[in-house]
Amino acid sequence: MGFTGLVLGSLLFQDGVGRAVGSDAAWQPPDGKPHLPPKAKSVIWIFLCGGVSHLESFDVKPALNQYAGKSIDETPFAGVLAQENKDIVGGNPKHGNRKVIMPLQTGFKPYGESGLVVGDWFQNIGTCADDLAVVRSLWTIHNDHGAQLTWQTGRHPRELNHPTLGAWICYGLGTLNQNLPEYVVLGVPTGDCCGGTFTHGASYLGPEHGGVRLKVDRKNPLPFISPKDNALSAEEQLENLSLLGKLNYLSGIDYPDDQQLRARIKAYELAFQMQTSIPDVMQIDQESAETKQLYGIDKPESKAFGEQCLVARHLVEKGVRFVQLFHGGGGGGEWDAHSDMKGNHGKLSAQVDQPIAGLLKDLKQRGLLDETLVVFGTEFGRSPGAEGTGRDHHPQGFSAWLAGGGVKGGITHGATDELGFNAVENRHYVTDIHATVLQLMGLDSYKLEIPGRKRLEVDHGEIIHKILA
Amino acid sequence: MTFPQDTWSETVRSGACRRPVLCVLLWIATAASLQATPSNRAALEKHYDRFLTKGLNQCATCHLPGAPKNPESLEEIPHNPFGDRLMLLGKELEAAGKAKDLVARLVIIAAEDADGDGVGNEAELLAGSGPGDAKDAPLPDQLVQAPERRAEFDQFLAAYCWQPFERVRRPAVPVVSRPEWIRNPIDAFVSAEHDTRGLKPRPDAPKAVLLRRVYLDLIGLSPTPEEQRAFAADAAPDAYEKVVDRLLQDPRYGERWGRHWMDVWRYSDWAGWTDGNQIRDSQRHIWRWRDWIVESLNADKGYDRMLLEMLAGDELKPEDPATQRATGFLARNYKMLSREQWLEDTVKHTSQAFMGVTVGCAKCHDHMFDPVSQAEYFQMRAIFEPHQVRIDHVPGELDTTKNGVARVYDVAENPPTYFLNRGDERKPDKERVMQPGVPKALAGVPLEIAPVPLSQDAAVPERREFVIRETLAASDQSVAKALDILVKEYTEPKATPESHRLRELELAKAEGQRVALHAVLRAEELEVRSQKDSEPWKQAAKKALAAQRASAVSAAQLALHRAEQAEEKSREKLTKEAQAALAKAETEAKAELTVAYKPRMAATYPATSTGRRRAFAQWLTQRTHPLTARVAANHLWLRHFGRGIVATPDDFGRSGARPSHPALLDWLAEELMANGWKMKPLHRLLVTSSAYRMSSTPDEANAALDLDNIYLWRMPSRRMEAELVRDNIFYVAGNLDLTMSGPEVDNAEGLTSPRRSLYLRLAAEKEVEFLRIFDGPSVTECYQRHPSVMPQQALALANSELALKQSRILAQRIAEHTADDAEAFVRQSFERVLARAATAEEFAECVAFLSGMDDKVQPVANRESDAARLRERLILVLINHNDFVTIR
Repeated sequence: MGFTGLVLGSLLFQDGVGRAVGSDAAWQPPDGKPHLPPKAKSVIWIFLCGGVSHLESFDVKPALNQYAGKSIDETPFAGVLAQENKDIVGGNPKHGNRKVIMPLQTGFKPYGESGLVVGDWFQNIGTCADDLAVVRSLWTIHNDHGAQLTWQTGRHPRELNHPTLGAWICYGLGTLNQNLPEYVVLGVPTGDCCGGTFTHGASYLGPEHGGVRLKVDRKNPLPFISPKDNALSAEEQLENLSLLGKLNYLSGIDYPDDQQLRARIKAYELAFQMQTSIPDVMQIDQESAETKQLYGIDKPESKAFGEQCLVARHLVEKGVRFVQLFHGGGGGGEWDAHSDMKGNHGKLSAQVDQPIAGLLKDLKQRGLLDETLVVFGTEFGRSPGAEGTGRDHHPQGFSAWLAGGGVKGGITHGATDELGFNAVENRHYVTDIHATVLQLMGLDSYKLEIPGRKRLEVDHGEIIHKILA
Repeated sequence: MTFPQDTWSETVRSGACRRPVLCVLLWIATAASLQATPSNRAALEKHYDRFLTKGLNQCATCHLPGAPKNPESLEEIPHNPFGDRLMLLGKELEAAGKAKDLVARLVIIAAEDADGDGVGNEAELLAGSGPGDAKDAPLPDQLVQAPERRAEFDQFLAAYCWQPFERVRRPAVPVVSRPEWIRNPIDAFVSAEHDTRGLKPRPDAPKAVLLRRVYLDLIGLSPTPEEQRAFAADAAPDAYEKVVDRLLQDPRYGERWGRHWMDVWRYSDWAGWTDGNQIRDSQRHIWRWRDWIVESLNADKGYDRMLLEMLAGDELKPEDPATQRATGFLARNYKMLSREQWLEDTVKHTSQAFMGVTVGCAKCHDHMFDPVSQAEYFQMRAIFEPHQVRIDHVPGELDTTKNGVARVYDVAENPPTYFLNRGDERKPDKERVMQPGVPKALAGVPLEIAPVPLSQDAAVPERREFVIRETLAASDQSVAKALDILVKEYTEPKATPESHRLRELELAKAEGQRVALHAVLRAEELEVRSQKDSEPWKQAAKKALAAQRASAVSAAQLALHRAEQAEEKSREKLTKEAQAALAKAETEAKAELTVAYKPRMAATYPATSTGRRRAFAQWLTQRTHPLTARVAANHLWLRHFGRGIVATPDDFGRSGARPSHPALLDWLAEELMANGWKMKPLHRLLVTSSAYRMSSTPDEANAALDLDNIYLWRMPSRRMEAELVRDNIFYVAGNLDLTMSGPEVDNAEGLTSPRRSLYLRLAAEKEVEFLRIFDGPSVTECYQRHPSVMPQQALALANSELALKQSRILAQRIAEHTADDAEAFVRQSFERVLARAATAEEFAECVAFLSGMDDKVQPVANRESDAARLRERLILVLINHNDFVTIR
């Protein structure tokens, strides 16, 4: 880079991480090199807000049709109610206490050589079955939408902000492209009720490692993208930046631990580069008609999310480490089908099914799926029991899948019971997904720890070895 | 895998407290078993809390196996020696007239050894063995751990007992080891935490840093170079206090803090479609509520009074539109497409803003964490069920779409509030009509509702004197205008008999309408005086009808004339229709007169209001309400210190964060109420404390103990809120328009209008992008801002018209005084933009930058403009400086 900021920044701050100074003299900040041989270079982290039914997507339970209308107590599986879910905050979940079984609201069938059974709402993703590693035994701690934050950080919302998985990866590995943010957020994130900006924040790792929100907007790819009326030439902008870098350095001497300042210096350099890099990645019109079709951009219902998935591909192509794609965000989340399960999931799946399948296929045909890890998640599942015409929150057992770099394709791991009520086999807390992703990116979560920042075993999670290729 | 649910529990004891008060939080956790749990057992559990192992929470801890099943109390025998001792001690204490509650007894016999196994009672309880069973003694390794457990338990007992759902009591001000640091009681509480944790407060910030901090904090604008110099030169010991007092009297204080409260109270201008022809959210003219907020803060109106007026201004002062502006707080929730959503937002945000309780969660089920039942949710909703919004006239404008007061009122019919099964509006339980009420666990007293009689003016606002006067004046004006046109027509050379006739007919029509209006108003007046059906009224009504019929004839005559002048192809058809209409009007004019005149379109509202909202507001602002003052004090603290004492200002319940300084928060809450809920004294106390005056520079030793500065060993640095960034760019350039109040400024003018940002339109899809990029408020919910650092902010400050233009203006202004003196230019630029002097190194860099072009070969003709351009760029760089957007 031709100007001062980063150079001065590194002189000034050493590392810029808020840690207990002097508590561990031997400690060194990450050098950007992976701790183990990485299997993937980038992550596309798809998050569906509100709670997607595991029962009608990737953990289909035909028993629900068989016992439809009966109370769980009247089935041979009455025992599922006896399990004490004491880890779930609230202890007495009024959400999730639905007993009268509701039949499946969509059809299902097996796909691919693996024969993975997928609900019809996700039939396009179904055609990628042999690339997916489905984890069917997840559980989380919160039975309300604050669990959206838990999915990203592993913590309950009342523990406020902690670094998200994306922030850890960017902190550990740095960027592959100085012209783009290392961590990009697309779509509308979780509402303030349920984590808000913390769902893509970096907490004590410093705002420079937090997610940068970008809007897919052809007319206005980046606000204030160039000086009004071209008032300044590029050369003048660079000279200004150079002076700014020096001045920020000088007044920052008194604040060597100021993460905001460090992040701001970085933001200025990035902003200058983004003036030219962003219009490029937001370019959709130059894609072929086949590609647009593949992502569902040609259909009104899937256009918006299709464009986001396509831009996600552009971003990982350019070396962005972590792309977080939100769907149905704001407030508690659109997938929250307390009523009209069929209408809600029917409509929303039509928005995402083809784009996500298109993304997987496109990555594969371009040879990018080997180095890109795609993760599909949500905050919790939905109850086997009916809540009117809907299903309730269900933190006791739910599903997610991973595909791409370093993941076995066409397998399922873990299981819920016959009704999909409790995760019973190979149970995994949400941070086990984080541990697995870090492993595939070549990072050892324990080696990233920072003196004075106590992390718990549960924050690190456990690697799900069985799904690794 | 176990999960850490209470990582903060060692610092605050909000679960079980030693005082013999039912601790609500514990009560919820054990609510189900409370009925079945004898009170002694409950007291044992409460006293030892998490230190009591499960095995000791049962009958056998005190009783022998022969006791009746589920003994109700210690009166039931037989006991083991521990139970025996407790029972006998109770009798002794009673005889001595002393407190004999179980906790008192447990404390007295803590060190005794009832079962004689060589280990004291409390030591056994803490180790998990039976204090009344000699055979059940702690194992050796349990005894090894005993001192540590004992210390933890002692710490637990000593922690401040924070009970957010119990009324506020002023805690004692702690005595601390650093008395010289204490400027007021706030510092004692902060210092006590320093003592506990071995922290050392940072020294006072340098004068220039402190001055900029307090200016931006209290009025939202940076100090001018003159103000900087005056403060630097004032060596008086109270120089700073004088500044604080002056700033608190500055009307810009109300603007700065008004915007803070607009966040909490969800200020939103109207949103909708087609240029305001369809209002979907909020109301027109809601800016009057914003003006009320600013005015109230500047007048230091009590916080309690502000809440009263916002919730029930129409019931408190039915005659006073100025007070009714406050009900914009409720009117703002208007939702054209869903009354359900409207009321849901009202209940949810009224509770979160004022009480820090997420009552909204209880719409579909009993609250999972806090003591609010689903039934209580609908009781709260019933408080708001009758209210609706309307727009009343204001003097000077008869068209309420152009100006008016958006306010609330209660409708006459008493709409029932049904309990909605699962909160589903499609599933009302018509058998369960909910009466207005409040959650019992909050404040403990019910609402006292009395209907409020309203005056004539409130019920029929269109009969108010000024409205009638202006209506008549408008009518007079139409006549005058028509006459004027007619007179001109007579002198117009190109006039024709037809055009004369047209103007005459227009005048006749206006006259007819004026006569009819007078007649109608006369009849209306008698109706308002309850003289309807009286003889004078009958005469007036007939007269009104006659005038209206005559007016209709005039109008029809004019219409016919116009039809006759219409284009040829449609003339015949139009003329025929107009002739028919005129014939009809003439026939009607000859018909027998009745009293059925056509009344004016003047809305009539109920003559009483339910009083529900007034009762609720009074309940909310009584001094015994546990949450109102705590939540308010926390909001104030949050905005001065960057982090709330409770870090979740909208949630004081079990899902919220635990307070860092619980005793301080209680003290502040009590102080607020003791000052008659006035906020300025509290602001003063906060910003004159040593805690506030600390430097924000880091310190390794402190950071090692408290990395996140939770216990306030330094003042945290903060980024300016979006509005401050924008306002100060204009302000340092000398261009901020300090006009206060008035209708909102179009958001499209966000980069060009020099008004303060709080006056810019803010609504769903109507916001200023520049402000949004700097994390400006969401209109749906904004209990606190979360400032980010984003590349988009860099672009907004470097490339926007706002930054470029104001840099240019400021550079020219400074250059007028400094001419070609680059050094003077740099000095003055730093003072203006960053409110401080440049250091030697900064100075050198900037001077070099200004002389940059000298190094290059440039045509002489461009020299002047090059220098000017460099100056502009230097100012732009300073506006982009981290120190500009940062409050140190």
